[in-house]
Amino acid sequence: MNDRGGLLSGVRLRFIAATIVVLNGFFPAVWILFTSLKSEAELFRKPITYFPHEPTLRNYIAAAVDQPLFQVFMKNSVVVALLATVVSLLVAAFAAYAIARLNLKRRQLILTAIIASSMFPLITLLVPIFETMRALGWLNSYLALVFPYVVLNLPVCTLVLVSFFQSIPRDLENAAMIDGCTRFETLWRVVLPLSAPGVFTAGILAFVNAWDEFLLALSLNSNAAMRTLPVGITLYQGEFTFPWPIISAALIVAIVPVAIVIAIFQERVVGGLTAGGLKG
Amino acid sequence: MKSWLDRLRDPSERTLGVILLSPAFALLALIVVYPIGKLFYNSFFDMRLSGGQGSKWIGWQNYADMIKDGAFWDATWNTVLITLITVPGALVVGLALALLANLPFKRQWPVRLALLLPWALPLAFAGLIWAWFFHTEYGFINDVWVRMGGEPRMWLLSPVSAFAAICIAIIWKSSSFMALILLAGLQMIPKSLYEAAEVDGASRWQQFWQITVPMLMPSIVVALIFRTITALQTFDIPYTMTKGGPGNATETLAMYIHKTTIDYLDVGFGSTLAVGMFVLSMILTAAYLRHISRQESA
Repeated sequence: MNDRGGLLSGVRLRFIAATIVVLNGFFPAVWILFTSLKSEAELFRKPITYFPHEPTLRNYIAAAVDQPLFQVFMKNSVVVALLATVVSLLVAAFAAYAIARLNLKRRQLILTAIIASSMFPLITLLVPIFETMRALGWLNSYLALVFPYVVLNLPVCTLVLVSFFQSIPRDLENAAMIDGCTRFETLWRVVLPLSAPGVFTAGILAFVNAWDEFLLALSLNSNAAMRTLPVGITLYQGEFTFPWPIISAALIVAIVPVAIVIAIFQERVVGGLTAGGLKG
Repeated sequence: MKSWLDRLRDPSERTLGVILLSPAFALLALIVVYPIGKLFYNSFFDMRLSGGQGSKWIGWQNYADMIKDGAFWDATWNTVLITLITVPGALVVGLALALLANLPFKRQWPVRLALLLPWALPLAFAGLIWAWFFHTEYGFINDVWVRMGGEPRMWLLSPVSAFAAICIAIIWKSSSFMALILLAGLQMIPKSLYEAAEVDGASRWQQFWQITVPMLMPSIVVALIFRTITALQTFDIPYTMTKGGPGNATETLAMYIHKTTIDYLDVGFGSTLAVGMFVLSMILTAAYLRHISRQESA
């Protein structure tokens, strides 16, 4: 037996390990939370304070009310991410079902083609995508972002859904077809309800991907009223001289909804990420 | 003979396959395939969207300009350096986090959430938060630095420390995804292997190198490949932390392409830069894959 007594014995080691991991993950967000609760006077006092001494919500009011565009950014982010999620799921579910279930030649090749082409470095395609959207008249609209985001989501969603469809017993489908269901009825009544957990997992991953995207949102929707949250908050800086307390409050408001969703469905998210995980 | 309507309602395998796959391939054609073609085509033109004088075929001129362009090579060097630092960095930090998170905790969720939170955070937000951490006067890092006896520093305004700050932010942001992938790999290693090694008297250190690392190799390779591909595209974090400054000390290739095309609307030259980046990522990805497969077979 190794000597595992002393300082690093079981319980204490585990406590230290958990503390390191939790601090690493939470500290930046907690620090921003503290910053957002400080008054301007406290923030610019030296030496700097760690905990807010006189917590105030003034920065939140400033972020949400005095910056009328913040609510617009929030709305844009929600609409774009939801639209992208729904379309991604539809497109990926169709493709994944074909790959998982149909008697197609070169199924593996089709899957590889979908994954390889949607993992193409987006930045190199920025210019032609910009031109395409300009030609279609879609710059500064939700459409400009939704379609590229669907492509961005295609590999993860397709991989997660392929593995889910493969786990549904084929006999169930055959039975439904023998009972006289058409192919689409079988899809709608048997396959879809059974794959709901997979669809949900893929949906969360797609939503987070779309919610986080920055480069295209910055480049294609330059109009202030069409910015998403990451772009809108980043560009606060240009319009005022680094309003850090207000930026912190805006960040907290933007982070919390997604953090709650992730916290509730963490097991699913981890499962989906490791099954088809592709995001950096 | 079935009517086309019947066939649509109850199609053959092949027809159904075509119907189901067509949305995905239509989108890929619009967003990926056509743009790739257009990219190479554009790179042979003098094409500025600002002037409105149309585009002019100039052959390989853009490529000649690119090779002579110092800013292009600076940005390429920065991109390669960021990749070489942050990919191994994120692997080491991610592996450490995964090993810590793999201990048998009574409650799993705080640890798991702590790994998921940085992953779910938009890169742009991570950049903003770390910029605030490195703030010259009111930043947390500077405060710790001064308390330890250092002089206050303008972290993001000197080339070397700005570059280091960006690498730290990228490693923090990307190591949690790495840790999640590696943690899944760790949990698949059978406990019996460690028990057998224990019986044979292997030390913890030996167990790590003889069992954990080899068994984890497939997960490590997957994580490294994805991380390398994304590291080459680094944009959000330097953009939000330094905007590429001071000077162009932290400007990546992605930022240079963005500046040329979206800010200056020089589409011809920007497309040539993007072709350069395309070639670079192909070379590095291929070299990387070869290196790894050679290591694995050795």
